[in-house]
Amino acid sequence: MKKLLILLTVFLMVFGLAACSKPEDKGFELALITDVGNIDDKSFNQGAWEGLVKYAEENDITHQYYKPTEQSTAAYVDAIELAVTGGAKVIVTPGFLFGPAVFEAQDLFPEVKFVLLDADPHSEDWTQFRAEDNVYSIYYAEEQSGFLAGYAAVKDGYTNLGFMGGMAVPAVVRFGYGFLQGAEYAAAELGLADVMVKYHYTGNFDDTPDNKAKAASWYQSGVEVIFAAGGKVGNSVMSAAEEADKKVIGVDVDQSPESDTVITSAMKELGNSVYLALEAYYADEFPGGEIVTLRADVDGVGLPQDFSRFTTFKQADYDAVYAKLVDETITLKTNADGGNEAGVPDAAKLGLTAVKITVE
Amino acid sequence: MDTIYFVFQNSLLFTVPLVVVALGGMFSERSGIVNIALEGIMVIGAFFSIFFIKTFQGSIPPQLLFILAMFIAIIVGVLFSLLHAYASINMKANQTISGTALNLFAPAFAVYTARMVQGVSQIDFENNFRIPKVPLLGDIPVIGNLIFQNVYITTYIGIGILVVASIILYKTRFGLRLRACGEHPQAADSAGINVIKMRYTGVMLSGALAGLGGLIFVVPISTNFSGSVLGYGFLALAVLIFGQWKPSRILFAAFFFGMMKTIASTSTIIPFLADLSLDPAIYKITPYLATLIVLAFSSKNSAAPRAAGEPYDAGKR
Repeated sequence: MKKLLILLTVFLMVFGLAACSKPEDKGFELALITDVGNIDDKSFNQGAWEGLVKYAEENDITHQYYKPTEQSTAAYVDAIELAVTGGAKVIVTPGFLFGPAVFEAQDLFPEVKFVLLDADPHSEDWTQFRAEDNVYSIYYAEEQSGFLAGYAAVKDGYTNLGFMGGMAVPAVVRFGYGFLQGAEYAAAELGLADVMVKYHYTGNFDDTPDNKAKAASWYQSGVEVIFAAGGKVGNSVMSAAEEADKKVIGVDVDQSPESDTVITSAMKELGNSVYLALEAYYADEFPGGEIVTLRADVDGVGLPQDFSRFTTFKQADYDAVYAKLVDETITLKTNADGGNEAGVPDAAKLGLTAVKITVE
Repeated sequence: MDTIYFVFQNSLLFTVPLVVVALGGMFSERSGIVNIALEGIMVIGAFFSIFFIKTFQGSIPPQLLFILAMFIAIIVGVLFSLLHAYASINMKANQTISGTALNLFAPAFAVYTARMVQGVSQIDFENNFRIPKVPLLGDIPVIGNLIFQNVYITTYIGIGILVVASIILYKTRFGLRLRACGEHPQAADSAGINVIKMRYTGVMLSGALAGLGGLIFVVPISTNFSGSVLGYGFLALAVLIFGQWKPSRILFAAFFFGMMKTIASTSTIIPFLADLSLDPAIYKITPYLATLIVLAFSSKNSAAPRAAGEPYDAGKR
């Protein structure tokens, strides 16, 4: 009886192992590692994942996402290793924090391709920068996206604005500086002498009562529309806007379904750029080693094509200003030449005259 | 004056949930069971009740829906707290570990279940529960502006709970027995009080209030819920300690915390504070610093229930 049991156990174990290893035979060809936050964050991770899923489903390719156990370079590298073991040929890593992880992984797994969003591979101490042939780094011109949002808001008649960013990471700072310059540009066109902008980084990406109270106090003091560039900070701002009957500008993806107060969103085409990168890979044209910034000229950034929540700003106005970004009639200052290292804007450096910034 | 009203109205966002949850913690600890699971119970209460709001929003009038959601939050909170009660009363488990287990379980459960049911972890809801002005009462000068305008119904429920909780604790037979079980359960037992029953009631009351607190914390501050109450359950524990396990002092402590946090966020629109232009971090630190100081000075004659944290052992004298 005992022997029989042992035999049975052995059988079970063998079968169990076989069952486990089954997906590995086939594996998941496309993988995404999530950054801080979940795959369904309605923002960064989700945008990138949707692009991957779209390509995978159209071409019937296996795909899977992996969540690192914690927010650290070591955990990110582990997650990448897990994805490679799982059969990944292309790994999408969305987020600024993946820079050092991909820097390590590009040498560990030379046969795997990496699509790195919002960062380029660099060593943890920021002394070495190197992108091997298996890495394609994508940046977005957030300043152009923010510019369009600021321009549209002032053109639509708002003269008392707010910018509430999350942490002052480079992408958020670019959104902010662009927003200020957009407001200035519209003010110059309209001949306005005074456009007030309150400017603040919350230091987190959460929907806290503190952020809600901050937004509510801005609305109370006369701010008409707040550009919320910080993940779930936006939900707190929307909540405050719903109470005060004021407006919000969303970020990253079209956030208008989340609240009626969202008049527009400063988007970057995460999904589309992932889609295009995968398409290039399967056409044997993977742009390895390249570091690109997707601008308006390749539709890398923009506002949603729905202008119904504006009163006077229309599609034609948008197209006109967008064309100027495309042909570079308008050039924008970004992080290095627009403020200090902490991401605090400098009115003189940004060339602001009509726009008056109050940094809080 | 408008600014003062505004700041006060906003401070209620912090104060009301803190009072309700801290009172929950008070009932549990006064019965002798340390309940650090408040955070987890808040998450579970918020999760089920906000899911309920999402499902029925539009088909039930807002205020009625809000009240029904509160009942759901209370019921779920009670059921969830029973796990803690069973582990720490029947099984005589370490109460800190049992509470930690619930805290770890709750957000994971909320995110996982939300994804299974609706595909994404965020539960969206529309916040249309605010009352711009209570008829008649809203016209009273000063007081009307302070607590009868731009208010949530939860403010009154919170005040009600505070009054009822003080009466129960100090003026009823049940309250006396509950306190006895938290101070010296063996003595209470020898006087014929069923310690186990009292402790179960204490934990269940804390579950009810923490579940409710989760809902009323989340509703005014966001447009979706994704399995987190951002450590406010722990903050409520700090309020409970700062308030020395007494309802009136808990109110004061919660109000102090709430006011300081509001001022930290809104100091730039308060005229005389804007002129000072202090770093907002100073206001943020103040309540925590005050808690530490109060603890340091009052630890000798702390009002903590003497038997809190100890499993009841009838044989011990």
